[in-house]
Amino acid sequence: MSASASAVPVLVARDLEVVRAGRTLAHVDALALLPGDVHVLLGANGAGKSTLLKALNGVEEAHGTLEFEGREVATAAARLALRRRTAAVFQRPYLLATSVHANVASGLRLRGASRAEARRRAAAALDLLGIAHLAGRKPDRLSGGEAQRVSIARALAVDPAVLFLDEPLAALDPPTRRVLVVELLDIFAQRAMAVVWVTHDRDEALAVGDRVSFLENGRIVQTGAALDVFAQPASASFADFLGLDAYLEGEIVNAADSSTVLRLASGVEIACREAADGPAVACLPPEDVVLFAGPPAEHSTSLRNVLPGMVKSVSPSGRLLLVVVAAECVDIAALVTRAAAEELGLEVGGSVVAAFKASAVHPIARHERRLS
Amino acid sequence: MDLIWNGIVEALRLLFGGDGSIYEIAWRSLWISGVALVIAVAVGVPLGAAIALNEFGGRRVLVAATNTGMAAPPVVVGLLVSLFLTRNGPLGDLRWLYTPWAMVIAQFIIALPIVMGLSLAALQQIDVGMRQQIAALGAGRLQGFALLLREIKVALLAAVMAAFGGVISEVGAVMMVGGNIEGQTQVLTTAIVQETRIGRWSVAIALSIILMILAFGANFAMTVVQQQGRRRA
Repeated sequence: MSASASAVPVLVARDLEVVRAGRTLAHVDALALLPGDVHVLLGANGAGKSTLLKALNGVEEAHGTLEFEGREVATAAARLALRRRTAAVFQRPYLLATSVHANVASGLRLRGASRAEARRRAAAALDLLGIAHLAGRKPDRLSGGEAQRVSIARALAVDPAVLFLDEPLAALDPPTRRVLVVELLDIFAQRAMAVVWVTHDRDEALAVGDRVSFLENGRIVQTGAALDVFAQPASASFADFLGLDAYLEGEIVNAADSSTVLRLASGVEIACREAADGPAVACLPPEDVVLFAGPPAEHSTSLRNVLPGMVKSVSPSGRLLLVVVAAECVDIAALVTRAAAEELGLEVGGSVVAAFKASAVHPIARHERRLS
Repeated sequence: MDLIWNGIVEALRLLFGGDGSIYEIAWRSLWISGVALVIAVAVGVPLGAAIALNEFGGRRVLVAATNTGMAAPPVVVGLLVSLFLTRNGPLGDLRWLYTPWAMVIAQFIIALPIVMGLSLAALQQIDVGMRQQIAALGAGRLQGFALLLREIKVALLAAVMAAFGGVISEVGAVMMVGGNIEGQTQVLTTAIVQETRIGRWSVAIALSIILMILAFGANFAMTVVQQQGRRRA
């Protein structure tokens, strides 16, 4: 699915800015979409993701430079040409008041396809999404999941060079969402189109994205390969967004043996990922923390950080439990299964040992920390 | 009761006895209102759309003016058209006063705000997301406009029906600018007024029946188009 490093970007944005009523809603310094790549625009509600997507799609007017297949998109005619080579699926399906088949064929007809060709390609797209049996139905007789499938089929029918998906699964129930993600990734793998996928869902971003750009206040604050971005959030606000809220504050110290530690105010040293010397905060994903009833035998674990403590709170987090451990002047959060919690006999006030690898601790230079 | 009953019987005799003058009046009513309506739709829908789909200074004033126009008294419209078309008026050279064209203009002015106002209201109801989706589908300006009109088909036909009802049954303006000249500018409504005044009840009833049938027939035809697809849905 991921594009090769040598691939030529299909869409490039430079200093692209959407301004409405004197307010900048979205601004991107540089963004390049590669064919075959799924580029996720991730961020909280109101971060400017959808606005940026619409600017890239030519639906929203924007200042700056936008290049599609090497040509600048600067006029209304060029924006129309861009829209005719791309497709978009929004959070709501926005189906026209006509049959499902006519809806799926609508993009093709607007782009000049003959009636026969539109019919053939619409039928193929309906087949692809497994909704050929809905062809004759009207939109008001479809479930939410079916309607969104129709919207996706309509977008895929035109065989777009870039597919823009604006929270396409947000309105669907979790089982439908899971199935559709798998199907979409299969489809993307078979086609060489670039995909821009807007979401505020971290798990969805990680599940679908080759590359992830994190947006905040209308700006991309970090972009990169999905796994790298998630493993090393470059700002405290992104770490916040990712739920890495167990901050460890201290001083990064690089030892002569090239190991790196974060020295906390209490003097406790936490082994962490490489970072430059200096004041830093580090975040620790709760899912990377393992709990033990007592100190683990040294030979039984490769976990370099072992901190004894006391259970401060236990609260449900989806199907897991979030356990906060008060350990040596710092609170550490851990996600455990209910079965594991039972086995460990976790209860508030009880003793427990939190352990985690050095690679789980992501230091962020102190100046990145959001002031609040 | 006898007066009414005899009137109805005589009216039916006139209707089915093939009285040419009655049908001539009916036909004149239909074409004058039809032409006025077609022009009002051709001008009113794009104007309504331009107001509904764009942001510009004075937009609210235009919307308020349009809504006011929907309730404009026909006699005031008649007065305005008379002032413009009278021999000394700005358009006096056209010599249209007391011709069917003056009546078309008056009915166009009555129908225009109705078509504009109702299509404007319907287009404003369309989610901006739908407009963006239509743009993203690759629609150019005209294609997008056509798709939006299809989305408001039901409301649009309701606007046409309301405007048609307004002009076919209107009497004040067409009386003033047409003059109710027999064989030239007499239409169903003005003829009904005249026949009632001189006590020819049966003719007035016959004309009223035709007017009602025309109004029902036109509305029924438009309703059929408007409701198409509901049975299949």
